[in-house]
Amino acid sequence: MGADLGLQHRIEQLLFREADCLDRRDWDGWEALFAPDGMYWVPLGHDQADPLNHASLFFEDSIMRDVRRRRLDQVHAWSQHPVTYAARIVGNVRIVAGTDDAPTLRVRSTFQMTEWRRGSDLRQLAGHYTHDLVAIDEAWRIALKRVDLINCDGAHECFEIFI
Amino acid sequence: MSPPGDYARLVEPARVHKSVYADPAVFDAEMERIFGRAWIYVGHESQTPSPGNYWTTLIGREPVIMVRGQDGAVRVLHNRCPHKGARIISEACGTLGSVIRCPYHGWMFGLDGKVRNVPFRAGYEGTGFNPDDPEFSLRPVARAGAYRGFVFCSLAADGPDLAAYLGGVASSLDNFVDRAPDGEVEVAGGVMRVMQRSNWKIFLENLMDTGHPQATHESSFVAARQTVKSRLGGATPFRLHIIEGNGEPASFWESLELHCFEHGHSFMGAIFNAPKDELSLDYLATLARQVGSERAQAIISVNRHNTVIYPSCSPHTGFQQLRVIRPIAVDRTMVEIFTFRLKGTSEAFFQRTINYTNIVNSPSSTVMVDDVEVYRRCQEGVDRQGGDWVSQHRQAGRESATGDEILAIGTSEAPIRNQYRAWASYMKDAH
Repeated sequence: MGADLGLQHRIEQLLFREADCLDRRDWDGWEALFAPDGMYWVPLGHDQADPLNHASLFFEDSIMRDVRRRRLDQVHAWSQHPVTYAARIVGNVRIVAGTDDAPTLRVRSTFQMTEWRRGSDLRQLAGHYTHDLVAIDEAWRIALKRVDLINCDGAHECFEIFI
Repeated sequence: MSPPGDYARLVEPARVHKSVYADPAVFDAEMERIFGRAWIYVGHESQTPSPGNYWTTLIGREPVIMVRGQDGAVRVLHNRCPHKGARIISEACGTLGSVIRCPYHGWMFGLDGKVRNVPFRAGYEGTGFNPDDPEFSLRPVARAGAYRGFVFCSLAADGPDLAAYLGGVASSLDNFVDRAPDGEVEVAGGVMRVMQRSNWKIFLENLMDTGHPQATHESSFVAARQTVKSRLGGATPFRLHIIEGNGEPASFWESLELHCFEHGHSFMGAIFNAPKDELSLDYLATLARQVGSERAQAIISVNRHNTVIYPSCSPHTGFQQLRVIRPIAVDRTMVEIFTFRLKGTSEAFFQRTINYTNIVNSPSSTVMVDDVEVYRRCQEGVDRQGGDWVSQHRQAGRESATGDEILAIGTSEAPIRNQYRAWASYMKDAH
């Protein structure tokens, strides 16, 4: 039980650290949390099973994330004049598969995210994160971050930053 | 501002008055005179393959249901119960049984819209209620029709038929379908919906505006170039090529051809060459097996970037995308984006289509975000006092006419001016 609590604590700290990187627009710090072949996926449909044969709001490997990260920091990224600020709260963190000495873990959580750009309305996003984590060099790294927005199939204004 | 009924005066040969984008009265008139008359895209027949399958959307302000009947016909009905006016179907798509039932009092209609049964029937006897009077059935739109599976409707009883309306731009829909080795396409992979805080015409103009990519899309094409250099040793994969392409020099954009047609339609030549990778060559071989090499070459040599079927949709033949414009308010536009599978192609081929959708048409697109940002800035400007007219002067007066087609060089604003010729024609009188 003590080991489980320790794992739970370490995993929560990892998710909080990830949210903090994104809130601070520390895209490089965020990327470093991923395994080299890690994927970032925001499905378009509820319970979407397949990212390859169905469109997604985001489905990005490290190459596509690299383009997005670099774009956000371009001088002439017009849609970031002014920039998007965001604050995320992550809770209800549950380890749903795997243990401390397993090679992989699956973690589910719930998030609230508030975004703001000067001149625009606040936008509230909410949904569920699923993190598939893999142990690399004694650290948990993200093999897949899945973001299921509660309004995934709604009509969206543009998503400027990673969710 | 102009008096009602005189909106055509807002359009001059190479400029339009800002109120066409900002005045709610103009928007109201557009909903009646343009979206209430023109052929507007509804959906694709493949979205309702079996009796009872339905798809709902907006034609201007009118909620409609596209539904396949027991007789196999696809109909377009107003999504409004004739009893109290309630919207009958709330979901975007789904399957009905043999009847459409109103959630309020349980009136039931056939899939053809005709009233079948109403509860408390005895109470209607001798009251003037008459099931044979169309007043008591779901009203069909005035005219509905399909062109090679693409369903359009018009809310007006009169006007040109669909084929005559499409005219020369029908060739883009032909090519869209001809590219399928089995001769058919189907909607697949979900529907994207993007909300823009700008007038619907700004989006339609931008689709034909080759003057903007170098400035608007600098952030994404520079970022893609940096990624190619630092992560991929200088080799550009297809998925980054479609982002980098916006950084082509002025000479590239000038070398394109723009083709304009009556009713505001237009298309532009390709900005991406037909890919020569293994997947594309495999596709070409499949197409050639089905239709013959010569025909296959002819089909893929029709290489186009955007097409505008004014005022409601934009097919992209090479990447199997269809963007549909749904005006919500004078300063708000929803774009529905459909992805199609070419029947007879491989799973890998469709997956590349999906990849294109994700990169270019998702609300997260690193390309689209800057478009939507400048649309919003234009919308702000047309509602302010710093000027009254919006310029469309680029290459004005230098187009050439051949038959029913107007041709212009790639950087001309001819397609935009052509859209406004149609706009003024619709808007000039109360009809």
